[in-house]
Amino acid sequence: MTVNDLVGTLPLTVVAGQDRLAAEVTGGYVSDLLSNVMGFAAPGSVWVTMQGHQNIVAVASLAGLAAVIVAGGAVPEPETAAKAETEGIVLLTTPLSSFELVGQLYRSGVKGQ
Amino acid sequence: MRRFVADLHVHTLLSPCAAVEMTPRNIVWHAARHGIDIVAITDHNAGDNVPAALAAAKGTDVTVLPGMEVETKEEVHLVALFEKPRQLFAWEKVVAAHRSGRMNDTDRLGAQFVVDEEDNLVAVKEEMLLTSLTLSLNEVCDQVNALGGLVIASHVDRPAYSVLSQLGFIPPGLALAAVEVSRRTPRAEAAKRFPAIGGLPVVTASDAHTIEDFLSGPKMAFNLEAPTLAEIRQAINNENARGVVL
Ligand SMILES: [Zn+2]
Ligand SMILES: [Zn+2]
Repeated sequence: MTVNDLVGTLPLTVVAGQDRLAAEVTGGYVSDLLSNVMGFAAPGSVWVTMQGHQNIVAVASLAGLAAVIVAGGAVPEPETAAKAETEGIVLLTTPLSSFELVGQLYRSGVKGQ
Repeated sequence: MRRFVADLHVHTLLSPCAAVEMTPRNIVWHAARHGIDIVAITDHNAGDNVPAALAAAKGTDVTVLPGMEVETKEEVHLVALFEKPRQLFAWEKVVAAHRSGRMNDTDRLGAQFVVDEEDNLVAVKEEMLLTSLTLSLNEVCDQVNALGGLVIASHVDRPAYSVLSQLGFIPPGLALAAVEVSRRTPRAEAAKRFPAIGGLPVVTASDAHTIEDFLSGPKMAFNLEAPTLAEIRQAINNENARGVVL
């Protein structure tokens, strides 16, 4: 499954990384503590968070994540989107709560690792 | 130049999690008795008890610094310190415009008392203070600095509400004067235990919520010409012969 498959079926908006949607999704992770994500998110995961700070881009890059989804209708800071674009990180948003989104991701076949 | 003992992070009974014994008068009285020369009053997202602390310190050897412990929208705690009360008042206006809109729940979260310098109750603060503002970390740092204040990242050694727990590392270019470690980390070991601190100056403070915390908690000792924020800023950076006493 690719990020593009998820964008096609779930209420996700592409904020940055349009050219990287072919990335393979191999799992999922949800946390709003970036220190925790750095320690535990597996490479290739989609990461669901409410944090919109630009540090999410660096964390996604360090962890080798397939995409970051900012949930709950939260709006990433303008610097976050710009940084994601330059670092080649797929940044998505959704009006769904983290809980709802993770449920739908799971049903789509994205599992934790 | 002389040595000043400073506690840069102290809560009063305005903070819902602080004991009612933490009146400005009682804090100043204990500071005077125990050789604490400088006390920053830093309640959660509010500065209403700073005027009482300044008034209580009048005629004593204790200097009160106007301050606030701000919670950003990333749920990062920051200590904002100011030289002048009017700078804090200007900052309180910014804070008031960026509240969640929720009201405090006294039974569940604790009461938020505003008092005068003689411990008389002046008001009960209605807004929920123990929650995040809608301002980002960067916005808080920039705006506090623009008002002439200084920002210290609170308790970076703790697993909650710290810039390191919330954001993993300190964003480059952030206008932080220092990071603070709590009593659980000796200041000298902070940079080794938390490499993400990088080259930032490290301070410690009691983060007192009770008088017992205030008296037993860690403090800084600075060599200063006078007990002012401008002098402390230089001491934190080891400038102009000001410095931290080890
Ligand atoms: Zn705190
Ligand atoms: Zn505190």
